[in-house]
Parts: sequence; C-alpha cells; structure tokens
Amino acid sequence: MRAALLMLVAAGLASAQGVQELVTQGAEVYAKSCATGYCHGVKGAVGGAPRLASRGFDETYIMTVTRMGVKGTAMQAFGTILPRRDLMAVVAYVATLNGIATPNLGRGMPAAEAPRRLLPADAAKGRELFFEAVRGFARCSTCHALDGLGIAITTPIANIPASVAALRELATPAVKTATGQGESFPALVLTQGARETKVYDLTLPPPVMRVFPPGALKIADGSAWKHSSVIASYRDAELASILSFLKAVAVPAP
Amino acid sequence: MICVNLRASILCLRGALFLSVCAFAQDGAATTNNWPHYGGTQFAWRYSALDQINASNVKRLAPAWQFQTGDYEMGLQSTPIVVDGVLYLVTSRNQLFALDAATGKLIWNYKYPLPRGPVSYGPQNRGVAVGDGKVFMGTYDNYLVAVDTKTGREAWKVNIDDTKQCGCNVTAAPLIAKDKVIVGGSGGDSAHRGYLTAFDMKTGRLAWRFYAIPGPGEKGNETWKGDSWKFGGGAPWMTGSFDPKLNLVYWGMGNAASDLYSGDRDPGTTAGGVNLYTASVVALDADTGKLRWHHQEVPKDVWDFDSAYECVLVDREVRGKMRKLLVHVNKGGFVFVLDRETGEFIKAYPMVELYNWITGITEDGKLVGRKDPVVGAATMICPGATGGKSWNQTAFSPRTGWIYSPAQEACNDLIARKDEPNEGRSFIGGNWISKMPPGKISSGHIDAYDPVTGRRQWTYQYKYWLMASLLTTAGDLVFSGDPEGFFFALDARTGQKLWEFQTGAGNRGSSVTYSVNGRQFIANPSGWGSLAGGMGGFFPEFESRGGSVLTVFALPENSK
Repeated sequence: MRAALLMLVAAGLASAQGVQELVTQGAEVYAKSCATGYCHGVKGAVGGAPRLASRGFDETYIMTVTRMGVKGTAMQAFGTILPRRDLMAVVAYVATLNGIATPNLGRGMPAAEAPRRLLPADAAKGRELFFEAVRGFARCSTCHALDGLGIAITTPIANIPASVAALRELATPAVKTATGQGESFPALVLTQGARETKVYDLTLPPPVMRVFPPGALKIADGSAWKHSSVIASYRDAELASILSFLKAVAVPAP
Repeated sequence: MICVNLRASILCLRGALFLSVCAFAQDGAATTNNWPHYGGTQFAWRYSALDQINASNVKRLAPAWQFQTGDYEMGLQSTPIVVDGVLYLVTSRNQLFALDAATGKLIWNYKYPLPRGPVSYGPQNRGVAVGDGKVFMGTYDNYLVAVDTKTGREAWKVNIDDTKQCGCNVTAAPLIAKDKVIVGGSGGDSAHRGYLTAFDMKTGRLAWRFYAIPGPGEKGNETWKGDSWKFGGGAPWMTGSFDPKLNLVYWGMGNAASDLYSGDRDPGTTAGGVNLYTASVVALDADTGKLRWHHQEVPKDVWDFDSAYECVLVDREVRGKMRKLLVHVNKGGFVFVLDRETGEFIKAYPMVELYNWITGITEDGKLVGRKDPVVGAATMICPGATGGKSWNQTAFSPRTGWIYSPAQEACNDLIARKDEPNEGRSFIGGNWISKMPPGKISSGHIDAYDPVTGRRQWTYQYKYWLMASLLTTAGDLVFSGDPEGFFFALDARTGQKLWEFQTGAGNRGSSVTYSVNGRQFIANPSGWGSLAGGMGGFFPEFESRGGSVLTVFALPENSK
C-alpha cells in the first residue's frame, strides 16, 4: 500500500485507477519504442534483444536501464528520449511483465525534468537550420557541436558574430596552410609532435582528420579557406535565425 | 563433364545430351591467393579458384590455427580480408587485427576508442576493405577510419553523419572502386534518409554522395507524399559490387520507412515506382555517384523487404545471348535477375517455400497479389522479418554455373500502425510477431540454383535457420556454418555434406579462402550475433552460444 502510495505521489496521480492508466500508457509506449522484432518483441517475450518478461527485474533496475541505456549495445538511454511520463509509464509496464502488479516508481525515479528550454521562434528556426539534415555536409553541425548534437571539429562557439555579414566573413586565424607530400591544403592543426602531425584537412566538408609523419607537413599561417564558402547554402535570413539560436544557447566566452 | 577452353568462354559438355555454355571466365571475378574484397572480388561471387582442398580430400581438413578476438559482444559477423599473407579481421566493436595468415601470429591491432553512450544499431561490423596501403573500417559511431596496413596506426578519419542525430551508423564493409572507398549506412528503420558516401582513398576527402531518396526537384521525389522523403529510409546497410569494365557501382537500397505503414508516404500513383529508390537495386557511375539505372524490386514496401543484400555480377547466356547479369536476392525471398548494363528486368523466382506477401512476379517484373499489413489487426506474412534470406551472402561457382543461397522458412504476424517521424528515432510503423502458419514448422536450407532459370539443383535441409554466408571453390565445395557451431563442407554438385567441425559457437559470419606459400587455408569466423536472438521465437529449445573466434583450416602438411 505504502509502495503504491509512493508511486502515486511520484507520478502525481490521484487513484489506483491512475496506476492502471499508467500501465496502459506504458503498453502503448512499449509497443512503439521497444516491441519490434529486432528489439524486445511483443510483451517482452522474444526478440533480437534480451527477453524482458519474467526475468525477476524490479522497478529500480528497469528504471535505471531504461533511463541510462546499456553502453555498447543498441539499448539507448531513453531518459533522454522519452518524456518523463512516458518513461515512467513504460517502466511500470515492463514491471508488470515481471509480475509486479502495482509498480513502485518511488525509487530510481528521474529528478523532475528541467523545464525544457523554450527557444524564441526565430531561435528555434535557427536550431533547425543549424542541424538540417537535408543540407548534407553543408550545415553548421558538420563542424560545430552545440546543444548536445553536432561534430566538434573546432572549439565551442563562444564569440557570436554581431551580424550576418560578420558571420559570413568570420576571421579564422586558426586555419593554416599545410604543405607536404605533393599537396597543399587548408588545415586546422590538432597536434604537431615528435611522433606525428595530426590535422583536419578542410579542403571541402566534411573535415578529414589526417595523420602525417613528423616533419612531413609544413604549416604556415594564413589560408585561402573562407567561412563564407562552407556556409554558402544558407540565405541571409536563415543565418539571422542561426544567430538568434547561437545567442540563445551558446556559452559566452569568459 | 568435359570442359574445353574456347577463348574467353568455357564450353562444357555434360554427358551426351546436355550442352550448356558456362559463364565467361570473367576476368578477376574469382579469387586466387588473396581474398581482397568483402565478396571475394568486386563481383561478389564468393568463389575461389583454389582447389587444393577439394571434394576428394576435404575429409582430412583440420584446424591449423585459431584466433580469439577477446571481444565477444554481438559475436563475430565479419568477413576477413587477406592480402599477401596478412589477414585483417574486425570485431563488432571495431577492434581491428592484422594477423599472419599462415600462422595466426598477431602483427598489430588497432582498438577503436569505444564511443560514449549507446549507439543506434548496436555494435555490429561485417568487415573492412583494404586498398592503397590502408584498411578502411566503418565504425559504430558512424566514422570511416583508414588504418595503415603496415603500422596499424590511423591515416585518416572522417565523420559520415552525427550518429546521435541521424540514428544511423556503419555496420557494413566498405567497397573499393578504383581510387574511392564507398560506404553505406544503417538507419533504415529510423526516421532517416539513407545514402551512400564515397571518399578518396588517399586523402579521405568526400568524392560523392548518393541519396537513396531523391530530393525536391530531382526525378523520383514525386514518388513520395509530402515531406515523407525526408525521413523515408532506404538506408543501404550492406555492401555493393563494382564492374570495372562498365565503371558501374551496384548497390541494394534498404526498405522504406516507416517500415510497415505506408499511409504517409504513398503519393497514390504507381507508374514508375513508389518511394524511389527504396527497395531498389541501383547502378551508379563510379566516378561521380550519378544514377545510371535502377530497378525497384518492391514498390511501396510495407513488409521491410529490403533490397540491401549483395549484388552478384555474373555473365550468363539468356535465350541464346550472352548477357552481363546482376543476380540479387531480395529479403522477400525472391531472386531478381537484371541486365547489369541497362537494368532491364530479366526474371524473378522464389527461393523459399513459404511466401504470401505476393502471389508472384510477372514477366516484366511487376508484383502480383500483394498482401499488405493493415492497421490494428494481425496479417500473417511469409517470409518473416528476417527475410527469406538474411544478410549472409550467396556464392556463385563458374564451374557448376550455379548460385548457392542460404534460406529460412519463417512467417510473422504483421500489425501496421501510423507512426510519426522523429529524426533519428525508431520509425517502424507497426510490429512483427513470430508465428508460423498452422501445420508448418520453421527451418533453414541451402539451395543450388541455375541463376538464370531459377531451376533448383539440390537442397541441403537443416532444422534451424542458416545465418552464415556461403563460400564456394574450384575444389567443388560449398562451405558454411550453422547456429549450433558446426562449420561444414557440402559437395557443390550434390549438396551432400562431406565434412564438419565444431567451432564452439554459432556461425553468423563469412568464411573465406586464401593461399600462403602454396598452402590453401579456409578461415571461418564464429560467435553468433546480429538478430540471432530472433530465432528464439521459432525454436524455444535452441540455446545460442556466443563467442568470437576465427578458426583457420588446412590440409595437414604431410597430406597435401
């Protein structure tokens, strides 16, 4: 009873009917996110991934694995994917597959979600553009990581250009010219040591991390590389939205 | 059989009554001392001209050495590559080994740093490619890495797409075509738009990208409803082929997404295909990645019947005329035969007993009698989600002129449901439930076919599914392995089992053969993995044993 009460309090539900509703909702979430033949199968009975039914799992274990995923497997961290209520619901449902008729979700519960950062409309549009898959490699996130996504080729965005024109014509003193082994290309130097020289070749997106024997590359300041050419697929209005996004989420330089 | 060499072709007289022309001795289509590419050669025959080990002496075949990778996650699913006495082996978690192919001695190993956090399609890796002094490996966090063959150190590394966003990664072996290395990706069951990407072997720079789904303004985009093309799947998650003379790269494209529900992607027209180029075989210019031709095997796929599997390039006589063909098994259990110069459909025939998703295929390649899953109710569909064949590959022997294919008999109840795309997340649109029709039991078999007529020559029957690739040799042998751990040899002409060896774990990889200093070796990865658990729904008594070991066989040194 106490366990049930804890759960109800935790779930913010008012009655035992709420438990049933949660389990029913969990069955829905399960069917959509977990039940494919490739994964855990219908009712967790059989599939490509481990069986979930009748395994003696308790709520804490189910919650932990569901939230955190299993490293090195296809089991994702659903804590970052599902809304909190869906997460609790699916845990409750899987608990019932393990003979726990009245799941107690008081233990192992995720802390209340931080209120999702609500971006102003223009910044939200900018976020979409920053990561927009249909642009292929001609998108910001090919070289910049931000807000949990993207490839961190360069240092985190800290200084936000004041205008679209400044964003296009961004000074990029870190881009050098590497020459050696019969070629010359714009490069971001990663390491230049006794063992090897490691650079990003910026000839065209995506950047390629390349390794050369020590001394094989001559690195010189300056480059013909232009920020404007790799962001050429964006129109001015789109870049303005991207700037709004950057202002909303980028951590400013100290 | 009497065979006479007549210029490039071999004329075979079989008894007194049968006259048949064998395949052209296609230049470079058979392997010899090396096993240089995933499919043996770029023609994907998985056939070796080596015959030291043959039907008359295979009974004496014995282990020469073994190599335990120590990395057991998802078994060992890969195809070893052998070049000049060095064998390159990759595990499912991107641990790469260079071994002395004669002794198994470790030359170097390259341990790819394991990505933090979970990954989309789990760690699975089916092989590497070797060229330009580098080993090319797709990673489970979606990079392509080039490792120096001499030192085992990174030469270059490039991100293909952000795995966290696209819900995709690389599980397939890359393919080398001239100076480029081409790699496909997973993600076909996610809200994702699949593609192939080609990189320059030397520098790692992007050469071209081919999207499985045409964008706005491109031909074929009109076969998609609204914006559904953006997340419509089509991920080419296996390895293609290359014909150097035609300069064409051939690749099988994955299923449309959401897999089982087409309501949001079907534009309502059917002329020229629906949801191009999903569930299609495409031919691309090797230099530019431009589409030369396509054949959509399954328009408006609603069964997850990919065309992702290997494209076997054989030259055979069709109605009295020698043709350059492409033989391709679709997941739906049908073999498609196409002209690989033009894409012309030549024939299709079933390679499983149990199929009901269509009643047949017309002489011009149209599907007849579709049985589509429905929303909210179960529809029994055969073959099942694992397909009439899984990704484990067929083999073709120019000596018999037959193609050898693994198959499994299984069905599923399919239930469709409307699904909303959420970029990079699962986008299945329904579910499968393991179920056999009344009175039927699930099983597996290996069959030999005339690839053009589809006439079955023999069948090797087995109680479980057969999920390892086939290998065939000029010794008139067909090698494969079973889930119970046995690696075995069949007579290529009769299907009779001639030899077997217990490797200690289930077989889900691809064996290869090669020769070092005049001694022929057969190398077999075992260790199960990759959807192998799906068998449990049909065979509750079956207990899989995981592992990750390469067992290499040869004839004893004193009995060659």
